[in-house]
Amino acid sequence: MIIRLLSAALAAGFFAAVVVTGLELTLTSPLIVAAERYEQAEPSHQADRALPIVLAHAGHDHTAPDAAPEWQPGAGLPRMAFTGLATLVGAVGYALLLGAVMLACGREPTPQVALAFAVAGFASVALAPGLGLPPELPGSEAAPLAVRQAWWVMTAAATAMGLYLIAVRRTLIAILGGLVLIIAPHVVGAPQAPEGASALPAALAAQFAARSLAISFVFWMLLGLGLGRAWQVFGRETARGTARA
Amino acid sequence: MTTSTLAPVAVGTRASERPVAVALAAFLGLGLLFMVGFSPAIAFHNAAHDFRHTQNFPCH
Repeated sequence: MIIRLLSAALAAGFFAAVVVTGLELTLTSPLIVAAERYEQAEPSHQADRALPIVLAHAGHDHTAPDAAPEWQPGAGLPRMAFTGLATLVGAVGYALLLGAVMLACGREPTPQVALAFAVAGFASVALAPGLGLPPELPGSEAAPLAVRQAWWVMTAAATAMGLYLIAVRRTLIAILGGLVLIIAPHVVGAPQAPEGASALPAALAAQFAARSLAISFVFWMLLGLGLGRAWQVFGRETARGTARA
Repeated sequence: MTTSTLAPVAVGTRASERPVAVALAAFLGLGLLFMVGFSPAIAFHNAAHDFRHTQNFPCH
């Protein structure tokens, strides 16, 4: 079962990553590159602030020109290749989690079941965190990175747990608890961006947010379908191997 | 216990494999996601930059 799960997750992650990398490169990467022109013109960017974790961005080409040069993929093809690689790693990671959750819930990852769990995955890591922290372009104003990451992780975990209680446990008390878990992060509220005039055009940001969510949806559906299908294919091969042995 | 009592998943497999498979996949999956989505290392950030933005990981 271990080999079958790892193989299925690899195959599903690769399948989803190939399609989604194409979507990213055509739909969102051009918007990110366009937004970086505005970010360059904005000296008060997060990267200049004191939080050490935010320094992750210090070496980027759109920070102060006198910042120490840090490794980054070259513009054009290398950057696209690394976007593809990151998408592949992320897709395999999500596929592994999706498979782990289904097995932990005692469900056979058929394409139908995997698709249903993938909808929950989309709701947990794209939709729910996106309600408080909409997908944003470089150069938009935002709260400190560590605070947003913490809220993001807690919201994703609470939503996933809430959906589990509602859809898998299905008792009255579980459903009520699940609803509380799903709603609570939004009642607490996402870290607010400081008031500030970003030079970024609102239309660009809005288009990016919509495209990002659409790509996430496609990503999760492909991940679910791919994982369910791959699970069946690798199961048949395992069965044949067992029969031969 | 040769078959799973939870679901027909484990037909022909050992049920004791399930917790190991779940733990291993969860650990690997979270590790990979931390690397591309949250790792503060500059090289990881820059390499995964466009992916992080598109998949709505907090970035910057």
